[in-house]
Amino acid sequence: MIALRSPTFRRSAIVILVAAVLLLFVPLIASNFVVHVLVASFYYVILAASWNLLAGYTGQFSLAHHAFAAVGAYTSGLLGYHWGVSVWIGIPAGALLAGAMGYGLGRLVLRMRTIYLAIATWAFAETVHVYLTADYTFTRGELGLSVKSLYGTLNPTPYYFTFLGLTVIVLLGLRALIDSPLGYFMRAIKDDELRAKSLGIDTTMVKVRVFSISSAIAGLAGAVYGHYIVTLTPQMLDFSEMAKIVVMVVIGGFGTFIGPVVGAAPVNVALTYLASYGEWNLAVFAAVVIVLMRFSMEGIAGLLAPLWRRLWTRNA
Amino acid sequence: MAAALEAIALNKRFNSLQASNNVSLEVEQGEIRGLIGPNGAGKTTLVNLVTGVYKADSGEVKLAGESLRGCDMHEIARRGLVRSFQVTRLFGSLTVAENLRTAFLARRPKDGTDGEARIAQMLDLTKLRPLADTQAKKLSGGQRALLQMGCGFMVPGSCYVLDEPFSGINPVIKDAIIDMILEVNKLYGATFLIVSHEMTIVRRLCPKVTVMMEGKVAAHGSLDEVARLPEVIAGYLGKALE
Repeated sequence: MIALRSPTFRRSAIVILVAAVLLLFVPLIASNFVVHVLVASFYYVILAASWNLLAGYTGQFSLAHHAFAAVGAYTSGLLGYHWGVSVWIGIPAGALLAGAMGYGLGRLVLRMRTIYLAIATWAFAETVHVYLTADYTFTRGELGLSVKSLYGTLNPTPYYFTFLGLTVIVLLGLRALIDSPLGYFMRAIKDDELRAKSLGIDTTMVKVRVFSISSAIAGLAGAVYGHYIVTLTPQMLDFSEMAKIVVMVVIGGFGTFIGPVVGAAPVNVALTYLASYGEWNLAVFAAVVIVLMRFSMEGIAGLLAPLWRRLWTRNA
Repeated sequence: MAAALEAIALNKRFNSLQASNNVSLEVEQGEIRGLIGPNGAGKTTLVNLVTGVYKADSGEVKLAGESLRGCDMHEIARRGLVRSFQVTRLFGSLTVAENLRTAFLARRPKDGTDGEARIAQMLDLTKLRPLADTQAKKLSGGQRALLQMGCGFMVPGSCYVLDEPFSGINPVIKDAIIDMILEVNKLYGATFLIVSHEMTIVRRLCPKVTVMMEGKVAAHGSLDEVARLPEVIAGYLGKALE
């Protein structure tokens, strides 16, 4: 196992675990509202990190990631609503269906690149959006689908610990994946697909597999989050949700491991507190992206990189 | 014994241009064959047909007697046919060591080795060790050529098709690449088909050459034999070789 022995995995694991231990104490001192904002932040960290795997590392600039989160949420929600299926079966079912649909979409857009891939995946997301809105007898459309809560309470604290644990597992899993042979092949494909093929890399297999994995992770996060917010609406598929994920990753550092983590949480917190300014939110973030890109194309991660290197050189 | 690499009546047309016109070629096991000819003669098209970048309109390619029909590019590479590109292609955002590691992992031998020893060996052989942690996009042209070659040799292939491996690089690096080719040829009995315009190197490396002109094979033989042919002098060399 190259991945688990690599220094990058060990270093990332140490930082993730230390941060997680510190975050365990937050609910002791923070208000319910702050805890709620942090639950949503963890959800976006998972979405941003899994989208970054596909777009940042493999170069597949998909605009359907929010749709896979919705597929996960609605699968689990609908199973419970119509057939009384347990949440604990619904959540894995949501992740699996999202993974399977990711596989299908990945196959469909295999030969597409850049703007064509973005448009095709966006069209897929809009199709899901339209379906969830239109088939209201089944999905309850804009009326909203009531979903059972995971722990029978709306107090955010247990969900905070659940999402903290899930975020740690997903981040460690993604780090191991990035350091594995598949991770090398992903980055190779992003740089030069023809070269990757000429070396013997089955680029079709790699791209479809990454599509599937990242979609399943989004589906898992969406399913769990759905059982926290307890009412699902097609708003989960608004394009602004996808734009939010993109902005989080770009501000944090596109194609860097730490980028989605340092991008998603602050952006979500800022968006929550700027919510009273309505659509001006996105204008503020557009300005932040432009200014940040002027100084560091790799976002906040690019600015943190020298610090990260110094930390480990001193300890080496 | 079957030829290491065999092209049988390959045809490829791009709109009105017949880039490959009934091209047949046999390279014996362990042979280092030169492929020469003027620009636009169809050499790179042949390389692309043999390695699966293009699908031939008709004809067939065989590697050690086995047909490569229907094989994807990566399958051809995994069967041991390794190529280099005329314009050096590397993974620019990966470091030198990561490029070598990726090349190793792509055709990882089944003996379970993790390739780290081989990476260290290749860094020494290419003299790129001081640049091991440098991104490939920051290398000079010669260093890029060396690294591309090093990647190809990470897991020994049975047959190499090298498209102008010596163009635009300094004599020291040319010598390093020649040494690598000779070593892999000697150690593993690997076969080479080398496209080049560098006649001195072709003479040094290749006992036999194939000349292509206007999409067709114009001649086979030793360099001195083909260099005497009037059509080769007129269409390619310009004057007799010294």
